[in-house]
Amino acid sequence: MIQKKICMIGASGVGKTSLIAKFVHSMFSDKYLTTVGVKIDKKTVSVDGSEVMLMIWDLEGDDDYQRLQTSYLRGTSGYLLVADGTRQITLDQAIEIQGRVVAAIGPLPFLLALNKADLAPQWEIDEARTDSLSARGWRSFKTSAKEGAGVEEAFIELGRMMTQSK
Amino acid sequence: MPDLDRDSPAGAVLEALGFAVFVRDKSGALRLSGTPPDWLRSIWPDVASAASLPIDHASPFLENFLVDAGGCWSAGGEKRARSGPWVEQAADGIELSLEATALTAGGQAILLLERLGEIFEAKKSMLQKARETVIAYQRLNSEMQKKEILLNCISEEMNAALANVITSLRLIEMEKNPAQIAQLLSLASRATEEQQTLINKVLNVFAAELEGLRGRNGMAIAEAKLGDALLAAEENVASQFADKGVRLSITGNGLAGIRVAMDSTHLTRVLSTLLENGLQSAPAGDEVRLNFAEESGSILIRVTDNGPSFPKDICANLFSRATTATPGPQALQLPFQFCRIAVENCEGEIGYESRKDGGNSFWIMLPTLAATK
Repeated sequence: MIQKKICMIGASGVGKTSLIAKFVHSMFSDKYLTTVGVKIDKKTVSVDGSEVMLMIWDLEGDDDYQRLQTSYLRGTSGYLLVADGTRQITLDQAIEIQGRVVAAIGPLPFLLALNKADLAPQWEIDEARTDSLSARGWRSFKTSAKEGAGVEEAFIELGRMMTQSK
Repeated sequence: MPDLDRDSPAGAVLEALGFAVFVRDKSGALRLSGTPPDWLRSIWPDVASAASLPIDHASPFLENFLVDAGGCWSAGGEKRARSGPWVEQAADGIELSLEATALTAGGQAILLLERLGEIFEAKKSMLQKARETVIAYQRLNSEMQKKEILLNCISEEMNAALANVITSLRLIEMEKNPAQIAQLLSLASRATEEQQTLINKVLNVFAAELEGLRGRNGMAIAEAKLGDALLAAEENVASQFADKGVRLSITGNGLAGIRVAMDSTHLTRVLSTLLENGLQSAPAGDEVRLNFAEESGSILIRVTDNGPSFPKDICANLFSRATTATPGPQALQLPFQFCRIAVENCEGEIGYESRKDGGNSFWIMLPTLAATK
């Protein structure tokens, strides 16, 4: 079976852990519990007929208290860059973090997850912004760890991108 | 380096501190020194019997860290490498926070595994609070930016009305014809009333937000009787309905005793706003319908009219806090924003539907308290 390492990257409180909880355990909690350090989960998915074991590294959010440790990215095949759609600043942070990731490990397949899509009235990221990212070749998914929308699709699509990129 | 005897002072200290000590042998395997702590056995039960840490299968995190550890051991001296915290799950499902340190001692490569305890939990708790504060600050900052835009839009609306008043007064000053003066006075008076209405709407919105914030901080739960709020709202709009010749038709008898967890003045204001809006849309001589129905622990209140539907671009942001629209729709949104805030504060929902056969339908769903019919 193919095994691929994925890292969850983004600012604090954007929902990285919640996305994993939804994807791996079909669970969601409204309560925010910060991640300190790293936790690894595994899930096998079917990508274009092949079984792929995703080893998902949930990394502590990048902020003034803890910067992303690039040594954790070693051996990763791709990453899910997560931003909170209800806090535009987290998209700016995601873009900045992605620059550091590329500087550390080079270009790798990644997807941008604009999370908390269930909170439509508070949504702060307009289409012009996502269109400009698309023009740079960024692929993005609107996800809701609460309702599950886009979650599985994002992980499987990332799995596909990783298996296609040798 | 000899094995650490659990009875030796050094071994006892390390055990008491929750450390597991591994020494790298000539083959590169990490061999456990001393007695494995219970937590180590709970994660990797075979460690004690194998006496070496089967790293390839034990932990992907450790496998990754051993690259950094190798660099540290090669450098020798006092150099240390720390893994940072990570979580492993014990066989019983309990998650344990660990940290690894690589160092060289007595010429041997050592790997210390530590179960993180109270200090780590305290740090985690501090980070939790700090990050919650940062997120709250970011949300507040964003809300303030939106309010600033909203205030700019309001200022523009007020300036427009004020400009009408000033122009009318200047023209009156120059005008000698009494009929023209009367017409100009009427224009100025209308502009002043428009301005007053706008100011009142703004004050209502901000007062409601303030009260909402106070409510979230632990004030007693508000309560309103639907029937009383409805009567008060009817009284508020009665003269306006009479002026336009529009009938108000209310259906849903028997539910007037229902109580909801909302301040009664807020509920009255929400209902008045929806009725006023229905009145504005309804053609003269037509009717506005208010219907309420009970739905599994909630009350659904719907206000419909036969007037022209809202344009699609306005519908999309009718209740939104987004304030990028032009000044016109902003003024329209203000009372609906208040309604949304008031309804959501009591865990209710509000919505708008453009009716297929023409007209508008606003609805609110409010959780009910125990009904007293």
